[in-house]
Amino acid sequence: MNCEVCQLNELEVEHFEIREVLRCILHTVVFHRALGLVRPKDIDLELFEITYVQCGDAELEKKIDEKIDQFIGWVEKHPNKKSQICLSFYEVKNRQPSWFIANKVERLYWEQWYINLNVAQHTKAHSSKSHHSKVVVDPRESAPEERSARRAALEASLREVLFQIIKFVNEKKDHVPPIPTLEGVVCFPFEITIPSSSDSFGMDIFKRMLQTGHPTMLS
Amino acid sequence: MAPSHGNSHSEAAKIEQIITEIFHKSLQIILEVRAPDTSSRNFSGEQAMSSPSSSSSSSSSLRARDKWFNLALRECPAVLENLDLWRQSNCQRMVVDVVLVQRPVDWDSVNFSPKGNSSSKERYPYCWNSDQDEFRGQVRSEKTIERWVLQYESRKVKDNRSSGSRRSSNNNSHALYKKSILLLRSLYATVRLLPAYKIFRDLNSSCQIRTFSLAHRVFSHDEPFSRREQAEMQRFGFTPLETSSGRLCLSVLYRSSELDMSSESSTPMSPHVISDYVGSPLADPLKRFPSLPVAAPSSLPFSRRHSWGFDLYRASPPLVSFSPSPSPTYSEPQASFSNRSSCHFPPMSLPPHPPETSLAYKKHTSFDYCPSPAFSPSPSASPPICIPGSHLSKGLLRSESAPVNIPTSKLGSSPSLSNKQYLPPSPPIRSTRSGTLRTDNCTGPIHTGATVEQFSPGKDEIRKYFGMKISANCSPQISYSRSSSRSFQDDFDGSDFACAFDVDDDDMTDPRSRPDSFDQKGHFCEPIEPGGFFPIRKSHDAAVGDLVRMLKKAPPLRAEFSNSLNVPQASRPEIWSNSIQERNAAVQHAASASMTSSGFVTLKTTADALEELQGYREMKNLLFEQGGKSYT
Repeated sequence: MNCEVCQLNELEVEHFEIREVLRCILHTVVFHRALGLVRPKDIDLELFEITYVQCGDAELEKKIDEKIDQFIGWVEKHPNKKSQICLSFYEVKNRQPSWFIANKVERLYWEQWYINLNVAQHTKAHSSKSHHSKVVVDPRESAPEERSARRAALEASLREVLFQIIKFVNEKKDHVPPIPTLEGVVCFPFEITIPSSSDSFGMDIFKRMLQTGHPTMLS
Repeated sequence: MAPSHGNSHSEAAKIEQIITEIFHKSLQIILEVRAPDTSSRNFSGEQAMSSPSSSSSSSSSLRARDKWFNLALRECPAVLENLDLWRQSNCQRMVVDVVLVQRPVDWDSVNFSPKGNSSSKERYPYCWNSDQDEFRGQVRSEKTIERWVLQYESRKVKDNRSSGSRRSSNNNSHALYKKSILLLRSLYATVRLLPAYKIFRDLNSSCQIRTFSLAHRVFSHDEPFSRREQAEMQRFGFTPLETSSGRLCLSVLYRSSELDMSSESSTPMSPHVISDYVGSPLADPLKRFPSLPVAAPSSLPFSRRHSWGFDLYRASPPLVSFSPSPSPTYSEPQASFSNRSSCHFPPMSLPPHPPETSLAYKKHTSFDYCPSPAFSPSPSASPPICIPGSHLSKGLLRSESAPVNIPTSKLGSSPSLSNKQYLPPSPPIRSTRSGTLRTDNCTGPIHTGATVEQFSPGKDEIRKYFGMKISANCSPQISYSRSSSRSFQDDFDGSDFACAFDVDDDDMTDPRSRPDSFDQKGHFCEPIEPGGFFPIRKSHDAAVGDLVRMLKKAPPLRAEFSNSLNVPQASRPEIWSNSIQERNAAVQHAASASMTSSGFVTLKTTADALEELQGYREMKNLLFEQGGKSYT
């Protein structure tokens, strides 16, 4: 089975924006992968003029929120770092016991979404690292302006990312497994991987590879 | 899954059915967030959907539709109408134009309302193949902002090729069904990302007189755009669904440029409304109607709907309010009904507010109610009358502003504000206004006795009185009652200061509000609601104690005194909710005030005192009875 990978455009976010941005992206992806019966729920972002859709499933929401919390915790410990969150969908297969792996259940990853965030620490004072090169007469006056410009830019990029998701969903349909017919199963099984402090992200992937024996996912 | 719903057994028939359902679902998805009236129409529907129980009770046909593509949507009559017509035309192509209509200024106000929209929309089916001269004649300008084209291209010839391809295995109905689900999911997300959604939302959320509205048309054939128009449009194409017999294409042309909606925002009432909107309603409706499904916190799937409810709610205050410019304000509620989108608040933000807000609100409430005498059949009380319009509006603003803070600053500002409002004004007023109070008390019982049902008509009357109407749209819904109660408060908000003492009446008049608002704050208040409230809790003994204390200190019984006594008594519920101490203070204060007014006090015998005590008891019981009535 193919493992399709979608690398989403990098977003430059401030710390306080992480939660909304991640929620928006993760839920949008999950909405397209929760192919059981859903009652969609529109969510207006607080920070941006964007509405995204949730599946209206409390479990999903909780799971996503927990991961986001973890991620925010990680970001706090590792400021000024680019980070990547990976949302992976898999199928569970019972595999023949083999001599080197005891696990009987394996995860076959069929899709991965990489969310790339660059968490910026914007100081309150006007600093040279802003993208605006214009000379600012009064920082206090310009700060909000700049802030709103930055916000607008992020909003646009976030919207773009959402379209990226939609396009990907549209273009790649064949690899999506058959819809589980069990009652109450809303979404394909998925996991959200965040960089962990104990091991590097790459290590994490490697571990998972070992676990699943799926070299294609690295492609 | 869904294919199994079909009667037909052959694969081809299943596929055909899926295609048909895709047309239906797509139209539904699009119109759900493009046709303003669907929101108002579906308001009850969404209510049904927001509570699991009611959704399960919804009609089986709706359920069946929900199951298609595993996407439960609100049923939209307009969709059905359009779709039936579309089916009659037996077309394999459906074009949905979303049109931004700018209405002339003198457009009948009815047409500004969602209702108006719906009527115009209902006309659309008849205008099926274009010809909307009648409509256009009245309309200043319209601009197509989106064109959705859904087309099924039969391709029998290519059957061989596709069967030869690797897709052949996928070309069964199940694969098609899965892909349809994916297509519709992405359509669902897309309609909310396109610029028109923002317009839709703004139109619905703004409570201004709308010079713009959204309309839609469903054609089987589209009129081509002019070159210039085309240049302004962007295209988003969904990946076609391949079937064994053809393919299904869905695309949208949309106007990405900023639409000229500026005049919209410049309409006079907008700032007013917005400030009005933000805070208070969030808490209030939630607190007051816990039993209502809509009011439940974010757990409900359709969080947005709640906010619509709030919109309604929020919108209403201006209506009832004595605001000098009723008509503009009035249009708001209607707008808000259609307003699905207003909810700029993320649903998440809702739950946290209620407790705090309610606290603040409750206090407000007491004041808000001051004017109630005005509403009573016999508006003898001077206070309401005294309230100048300006004062009211100012009050309105103030009350609005306090709630506004709530979402952001939470508890912080508003409660304190309300506290300030609450405490200072009451004592002085009580002492000075005993006469007025008396009349209030008279009207009070009337209110008190009134049940909720009785109450709301009164509201209606009030609105009528002010040349306003409650739109029928909202009435069946929860929001109706909410808006009513809310509006009351708001109206009165302004008058808080003018006549704080009137609180009593209001308190009693608004049995609904208090139980809810209390539950967060003081538990002792809760029990009040169910039964006759005073006796049950500490109140009885405390009341007697107070009376005895008063007797000790008090001057002889006089008419005036009883009046002044009534004041605290009547206001007691409110005060109690806050603290007994205050009440006592108030009572004593009142007593002393009356004492001073009565002048010299003659000594009384024990028998006299007992007599008086008896009198007080009776009075107290009477009050309890009244209170009990109003709360039951």
